[in-house]
Amino acid sequence: MKCPLETRDDREILVAYSCRTLNPGDTGRLETHLESCTACAEFVRGQLAVWEALDGWEAAPVSADFDRRLTARIAGQASWWDRLRGRLGMLLVYRALPATAVAALVVVGVLLERPSPPSIPKPTTSPVEALQPDQVVRALDEMEVLDQFNHRMKSDSSSPEM
Amino acid sequence: MGGATAALDYDAELMLRVRDGDGASFAQLLEKHRSPVIHFLYRMVQQQAVAEELAQEVFLRVYRSRATYEPTAKFTTWLFRIATHLALNALRDGRNERSQERLDERVEDMPAVELEDRRPSVEQSMVRQAALDEVRRAVADLPGKQRAAVLMHKYREMEYTQIAKVLNCSESAVKSLLFRAYETLRARLAHMA
Repeated sequence: MKCPLETRDDREILVAYSCRTLNPGDTGRLETHLESCTACAEFVRGQLAVWEALDGWEAAPVSADFDRRLTARIAGQASWWDRLRGRLGMLLVYRALPATAVAALVVVGVLLERPSPPSIPKPTTSPVEALQPDQVVRALDEMEVLDQFNHRMKSDSSSPEM
Repeated sequence: MGGATAALDYDAELMLRVRDGDGASFAQLLEKHRSPVIHFLYRMVQQQAVAEELAQEVFLRVYRSRATYEPTAKFTTWLFRIATHLALNALRDGRNERSQERLDERVEDMPAVELEDRRPSVEQSMVRQAALDEVRRAVADLPGKQRAAVLMHKYREMEYTQIAKVLNCSESAVKSLLFRAYETLRARLAHMA
């Protein structure tokens, strides 16, 4: 048998041996190996010590009211909405379904028959732009040029044709 | 895990009955798994009150999930996955941050040491208590996943495949986790032999 500590793939065989979960065939071969390999023997000794130490660690007993507390929490999980829905559902199914259906039809009918109010158009708004002084001057210049152009056109049209 | 395996898992069958509204089946599951889950959580967080609080949450989640439960894995795998998840979160949140102090305080919630007919002397009891404290400290110092792997391997005797499913990792990762964890524990506890 190859040394499990050297072939790292098989090293869990040493843990399994210490936990006494190794199969009989591998146990026999490992025990033969342990007689000649001090490293593996040391590993097993240490692992057995760990196993024994962990054996001595007992868990505390469970509180007597654990189940009662859990039951209370489970009962609390059913929210008021669930309870209300459940009761309402039963009421609808067994008692008030016809009346509820009629009421729903009446409500739908009233809504359909009621004239809808005239729609009021929303006032339109346009964004206000802040003008810069040079923009104003340029606009006035353009208006003056346009005015001159109009004046020129008028004078041209009033002059007799050649 | 396939349906055939699930069919052999009696706990999964019980859970399916819980899904169908059978409260008695939930009580059966609780009766069977209450102690293993609490003991696992106790060794994870090392405080009995926190462990029981987390266990309440585990069973509450099991109950809440009943409507959507599908036996895609062994029931205990699912159960311990929930428990491990909650324990690791609690460790991360520092909910058991006083655990180390409490180890020093020799807390009340520690299990009573079983006395044999031949009563140990005061010195023997003290030595045993000191050894137990050392074990608890060594386990508490392991990283969360290594700790969970060791506790499932040692105390629940779970196989690597199941631990891998609980921890949501590969089997080789579990082997590696366990090897490193035991290496650490050997370094700290081997002298106790």
